[in-house]
Amino acid sequence: MYKISEYTELDSMSDLINDNYSILLPISRFGISLGFGDKTIGEVCKENKIDTKTFLVIVNMIINEDSQIVVDSTLSIKTILAYLHNSHKYFLSFKLPKIREMLLNSIGINQTNVAIVIMKFYDEYVLEVTKHMQYEEKHVFPYINSLIGGGKPKDYSIDIFRKQHDNVESKLSELKNIIIKYCPVETNNELITVLFDIFSCSKDLSYHNDIEDKLLVPLIENYEHNNK
Amino acid sequence: MSSRIHVAVCEPSDIIRKGLVSILKKLTTLNIDILEIINLTNLIPLIIKSKPNIIIINPSYIGSLNLNTLKKETRLPNIQYIALQTTILDTQLLTQFNQVINIMDSPEEIKEKLIKLTTTTIDTNKKELSVREKDIIKLVVKGMTNKQIANELCLSIHTVITHRRNISTKLQIHSTSGLTIYAIINKLVEINEIKDIKE
Repeated sequence: MYKISEYTELDSMSDLINDNYSILLPISRFGISLGFGDKTIGEVCKENKIDTKTFLVIVNMIINEDSQIVVDSTLSIKTILAYLHNSHKYFLSFKLPKIREMLLNSIGINQTNVAIVIMKFYDEYVLEVTKHMQYEEKHVFPYINSLIGGGKPKDYSIDIFRKQHDNVESKLSELKNIIIKYCPVETNNELITVLFDIFSCSKDLSYHNDIEDKLLVPLIENYEHNNK
Repeated sequence: MSSRIHVAVCEPSDIIRKGLVSILKKLTTLNIDILEIINLTNLIPLIIKSKPNIIIINPSYIGSLNLNTLKKETRLPNIQYIALQTTILDTQLLTQFNQVINIMDSPEEIKEKLIKLTTTTIDTNKKELSVREKDIIKLVVKGMTNKQIANELCLSIHTVITHRRNISTKLQIHSTSGLTIYAIINKLVEINEIKDIKE
């Protein structure tokens, strides 16, 4: 059963995941444990103290890329921030190091010149992503937290972030294109697995960016506007 | 992959629009970016904001707003318009458009029509790098700035920038570290010539 229309809180959580296994990533970022039985999405969210509406908006954004995102002031900004924070942790402490290790084991094993420059490319990329995400952790999130806590922080506005927020996945896609198009290396299981991972990580990063640009930014813009 | 084509599909009917969009998405050899416009009342501001290369629109819905007014008000003369024909229409009306897609067209026919409209952008992707472009890559990966490259090759900075843009389009590589990988694979430079690598 594959649903085209959006999921609601009355749908079963295990159906949601069986239909779209990519939802496993957000599930772990929301801190939800598996073993749902027949519980609905609404029940699982309530048990885990997660705002169901916000959960559904994020999940539906991932399942249906073309869906119209309704920015609604009742969405929980705290839930979105917690989600983004966990997702930063996932990329920086787990996924990107994991891909590096696999690249090294597949391409880097013979220390050829091509391997050296590919690893250099990757390390530079990770450094960029780290800077990008650390900026959000150090400047953007504290600003939002202070704003929703009732403060009136003067030194920042979400507009600054909106203008300078660039996409973080395109360089990773570039690496994968270079390997596929120009790299005459023999394919092996490690290499194919790491390419699969780069594809899915690029996609995951692009969803992450979408949540920031299309959900968080408009939500904070509205909040700033209404609390002037 | 060829360069991106931004296509706006303006059609209020979900069945027809989603059907067309799913065909466009399956034309994988073309790199298409799709914007769906459902509500035609804010068509003009949306076009101005998104600046598509191609607009696919059902002539029946343009209504009182004819194609010429649309072209005039958006002030974007380079946009190509494709009529999405769902019923029998006056041929005079259709001649205003650059191309017509009929709802009975096969995916292959739709692809051919899109290719015809975008041939210029696709051609540039098949070209090999010129000797000059290879020279420039060598200097870029050695860590030289555009100004230094211009001096070295006795070119203007402007020419160097144009060459670099063409290199990016041809190879689909936009970063210096990406060009470095390309240069090493194709033996344009030695590993110890590359900036930041110390053996």
